[in-house]
Amino acid sequence: MIKIQDLTILFESFKILNLDIQIEEGGFHFLLGPTGSGKTLVLESIMGLRKPKSGRIWIGDKEVQDVPPELRGISYVPQDLALFPHLKVKENILFGIRARNLDMKTFEEYVQALVGVMKIDPLLERYPAHLSAGEKKRVALLRALAPKPKLLLLDEPLSGLDPSIKIDIQRLLKNLHSSFHPTTLCVTHDFEEVYFLGDEITIFIDGKVEQVGKRDDVFLKPKSKKVAQFLGARNLFRAKILRNEELSQRLILGVDGLEFSIPSSLYQKKMEVGKEVDLFIRPEEVMILREGKFVKDSLKQNMFEGKILDIAGKERYQTVYFQATPGNILFEISIPNYAFRNLSLSTGKKVSIALREESLWVMS
Amino acid sequence: MSFRYTMIGAAVCIFIFYLGLILSLFYFVGGKGFWEALSHPYTLFSIRLSLTAATIATFFAVLIGLPSAYALSRFKFRGKGILDTFLEIPMILSPIALGAAFLVFFNTPLGELIQTKGIFFVFEVPGIVLAQFATIAGLTTRLMKASLDEISPRYEAVARSLGSSPWQTFYRVTLPLSFRGLLASVILSWAKAFGEFGATVTLAGAMPGKTETMPIAIFTALASANIDKAIVLILILVAFGLFILYGVRLTGKRFRYD
Repeated sequence: MIKIQDLTILFESFKILNLDIQIEEGGFHFLLGPTGSGKTLVLESIMGLRKPKSGRIWIGDKEVQDVPPELRGISYVPQDLALFPHLKVKENILFGIRARNLDMKTFEEYVQALVGVMKIDPLLERYPAHLSAGEKKRVALLRALAPKPKLLLLDEPLSGLDPSIKIDIQRLLKNLHSSFHPTTLCVTHDFEEVYFLGDEITIFIDGKVEQVGKRDDVFLKPKSKKVAQFLGARNLFRAKILRNEELSQRLILGVDGLEFSIPSSLYQKKMEVGKEVDLFIRPEEVMILREGKFVKDSLKQNMFEGKILDIAGKERYQTVYFQATPGNILFEISIPNYAFRNLSLSTGKKVSIALREESLWVMS
Repeated sequence: MSFRYTMIGAAVCIFIFYLGLILSLFYFVGGKGFWEALSHPYTLFSIRLSLTAATIATFFAVLIGLPSAYALSRFKFRGKGILDTFLEIPMILSPIALGAAFLVFFNTPLGELIQTKGIFFVFEVPGIVLAQFATIAGLTTRLMKASLDEISPRYEAVARSLGSSPWQTFYRVTLPLSFRGLLASVILSWAKAFGEFGATVTLAGAMPGKTETMPIAIFTALASANIDKAIVLILILVAFGLFILYGVRLTGKRFRYD
């Protein structure tokens, strides 16, 4: 297990205070934060290249904050990969095994397996300058994994790749992780990467941890408006708790004339009537109802009428801008292309929408 | 005249300027005195002395310059700015002033102690090496630092993470990656030491057969109106210079990894 406790890093204008991260053996943990939030500084401190002001780091059972980088058992893949240009691919891959004086025979089978999974066989005798961007990524990952590190550190591993190659490398990373289970800490600002690969996420903004949790929990239930905004949340409204219906155990929230009903059991924190909260509705969880179709009772709790103001097409889905009546609340709704076609939606069309209870998230 | 041709024209002018200067030397080549000067023991001695002294001075300059360059390129430490500025002293100070400073130093109690208990520098061969070293040490460090600056510290970070100690990282990663620039720095430093005159003549004097390096021999030959000897030595210097520049270009082509 990897444990980082109370890590404080002061560097020029960066101030990272009391960072705690815990990664289970074989886990894939993401440190997700905006560009320039100091994520790379955290990696450099874990690696031992930068001395933190304070804090403790455990890799397995060993406390390593005072141990030099070469003895920490970490492998690092920087954003620019830093493949050694004077060494062939094969020599790059074996660099870590040789540097750590490990028995080459013990590693032979494992490295061969990695070479096979990563399809690097035909590249072994080439120099990095003669590799494509995707091949370089694969070689850099293999080089890092070859000496069986106790912790693999990845700095924006999918940045700078063409979309098609990015998907390939993303799949490869997932495949590698499920096959070889390296304990991994990855820093990125790319939500897509996190969603595809991550088990656990630490949201890191302005040098502070804002939220830690399982991937879905963080994406679906952001702890604060700051996190929600960072995650690119749409449909973020300031709401007021209008009443607490004790009989049905539901809270009624008001936003600009609209009333939203949520089960009070979802919220352990005391929600007092009159209190202002932030309401977050995920765009992909909003349902546009087909005319005349039967609507379940559970959905009727949060059903609104209105009209479509605009439609914006994306690659795999459509974004529909819906204005509810009464009030002027504008909902952003994401629907897959096939559903969009079935509903025959157009600008100006009057439609009804319904929200599942799980799609409503309140942040106090 | 177009922009392109104006710029190229300027470059060609410089070329013609230097080429004309070199070709003019051949006006006197071929006389009886020329071949006598070429085979004179003092001429051969100057060539040998210059080659030896420049090589030793360069060796010491690299020995101290490479770690200094690495420190200046990679680490932050107190007084780094002052240290960096001091490297330029030999570049801003006239070589004669540098030689004179050495003469003054060797007349201080510490200087006298070094001379009496250690090595004698004033008007001796070690003085040539010292003067050349003083002239090139700053330059060597500066050139090497520029080469090391070009190598991303990320390579070193990765090597460290993969298990290399700082020394191993320097030897296995930093040195090979910066080899081209470092070799060019060594060659240029050696050329500068080879052609050094001012500091050497001030500190080591101009004694034929003892401390007379090639540039000093050119000066003394001209002073005694021995044009043949001066031309022989100038042509040898030019030949060495061109050979060295060719070497630099050649190393530029090899050891490229991008």
